[in-house]
Amino acid sequence: MDPAVFDSLLGIGRFVLATTFLLLLTVPTAFIVGQMELKIMAQMQLRYGPNRVGPWGMFQSAIHGFKMLAKEDQTPDRADVPTFTLAPWMVFMAAAMSMLVIPFAPGIVAIDSEIGVIYFFAIIGLSVVGMLIAGWASYNKYSLLGGLRSAAQMVSYEIPLTLSIVGLVVLTGSLSFTHIVEWQLEHGWAVIWQIIGFPIFFIAAAAEINRTPFDMVEADSEIVAGPFTEYSGMRFGFFYFAEYVALFIMCAILVTLFFGGWLAPWPFPAQLDGFAGTVYGLFWFFLKTYFFVIVAVWARATLPRMRVDQLMGMSWKVLLPLALVNLFVTAAVVLALNL
Amino acid sequence: MAIPGSGILTGMGVTLRNLFRPKVTLQYPEERPHIPDRWRGRLDLIYDPFGEHKCEVCFQCAQVCPVEAIDMSGFDSQGRRIRYGLPEIYDERKDPNAYRRAGLAAEPMRNAARWQEDVDQPWLDGVIDGYGGRPESLVAIFGAVEAKYGYLPEPALRRISDRMTIHWAQVFGAAGLGGFRLLPTEGHLVTVCDCAACHFAGGDRLLAALEEELGIHAGESTDDGAFTLETSADVGAGALAPSVRIDTLVYGPLSVDEARHLVIARRAERARARA
Repeated sequence: MDPAVFDSLLGIGRFVLATTFLLLLTVPTAFIVGQMELKIMAQMQLRYGPNRVGPWGMFQSAIHGFKMLAKEDQTPDRADVPTFTLAPWMVFMAAAMSMLVIPFAPGIVAIDSEIGVIYFFAIIGLSVVGMLIAGWASYNKYSLLGGLRSAAQMVSYEIPLTLSIVGLVVLTGSLSFTHIVEWQLEHGWAVIWQIIGFPIFFIAAAAEINRTPFDMVEADSEIVAGPFTEYSGMRFGFFYFAEYVALFIMCAILVTLFFGGWLAPWPFPAQLDGFAGTVYGLFWFFLKTYFFVIVAVWARATLPRMRVDQLMGMSWKVLLPLALVNLFVTAAVVLALNL
Repeated sequence: MAIPGSGILTGMGVTLRNLFRPKVTLQYPEERPHIPDRWRGRLDLIYDPFGEHKCEVCFQCAQVCPVEAIDMSGFDSQGRRIRYGLPEIYDERKDPNAYRRAGLAAEPMRNAARWQEDVDQPWLDGVIDGYGGRPESLVAIFGAVEAKYGYLPEPALRRISDRMTIHWAQVFGAAGLGGFRLLPTEGHLVTVCDCAACHFAGGDRLLAALEEELGIHAGESTDDGAFTLETSADVGAGALAPSVRIDTLVYGPLSVDEARHLVIARRAERARARA
């Protein structure tokens, strides 16, 4: 066989394998994140949380998922059926596709793209389209309000979210996640260099994926369940699925960009070689990622929902100027020190 | 807050501490709360949407109370004054036991004399035994006691309760709800309704006729104590306007002559009883 053809076939096979693996990974991820949310929030509210399904109730979120499958899937009479059907798929695919560029460990990345950062923020922003058409297609005023809120919120927060890492991109001189992690191997975790960028990213990421205290999109007490109001069964389940996966992805990206990705913290060797290095990297990557998942759950258990105007004000008046200052200061430092 | 975000950090600290604190949940089927045998929950009177007590003074709560801790007085749905327990209403309670529990020097009960009337106990026992002590004969026994004393004295009710081994609250509840008189009265209480409906239907003429017939004005009693005349707006029988209540019975609609006849009939009855 022609080596070029072989190489391209190998590339296709590798891509198919990686995407399949990532799609499969979303299932346990969503269940684990959902279970953490149930259990940790309960503990913070002085409850035990679910403890009946399986040992320590550890299959509760899985049971929730299967319950969704068993439920009737209804479509409202006046709904726009094609878009109504498409919306959960779009939201979920936005989350699943953005996983393609996350480097889990040295070499464990579906697409080691040179423009991974741009790809990631382009794809994760697609979920707003899903939310918006879900709200529109449902033919329900609460859905529409929720859809419009999601558009306003996610578009607003995408700007500080993206700007907060431009400073890091200037610093590392790369748009590749893998290269950013390798840069951190030499220079230490980027959070040290981007002490303002990290909190901006964290807050904006929470808003971007509609986590409490920024869950205006599905503010139950105001607009029922926002764009999800008319959804039932597994289509509704997919929105939640996507939300938990998106939380995991945002934390993974946070770890990759600011906390050294697969690199181990100081007292341990940063990375090892060979197969052991892969396992070692995966271990540290998931440990750090789930730490930030827990922080997000912790914030949800603590903070009340913000008002819509406060939310917008925070994005445009606080986070955006801070992100710009961060960018300019970083650029100035890079120029001055000739990094 | 001096530093932006310090409030958030305080809150996060609270939730973090809660994460490690013991949990308050009681794992119900496995763990049971310790509830004393006699615990019946917190007693409370509830109100309807118009701000009125929903309590109908039905005594059911008093009947199930194992320590007889509940007593009450009030008006039933017919507007009759009914009571369970000691004769005073709560704000004028002078029960020596209540004083003793409160650590005060005991004073005699203000209304005690009225309630310490001697009851002919052998006669009462005879009446009870005559009915075989059956609970369903309670109302008949009340009738006999009321015929003898004119009302149901408390010692008599206590004796009935003891001898028939019926719960005290049930005896008292039956007496109150059965329309028996629980207070000694001087003669008959004639109440002319002066609600708007009765007034326009001729209630003022009824009152004038009864005043003339009894020779007294409203609010007074006859010299022999046989009749007390009063007006009230809460006879509560608008459909029977104009109406008059004598003791516990409401009459209406009445003409002037019928009202006079009611009084004349009772006067004759009283004269017969005395003879």
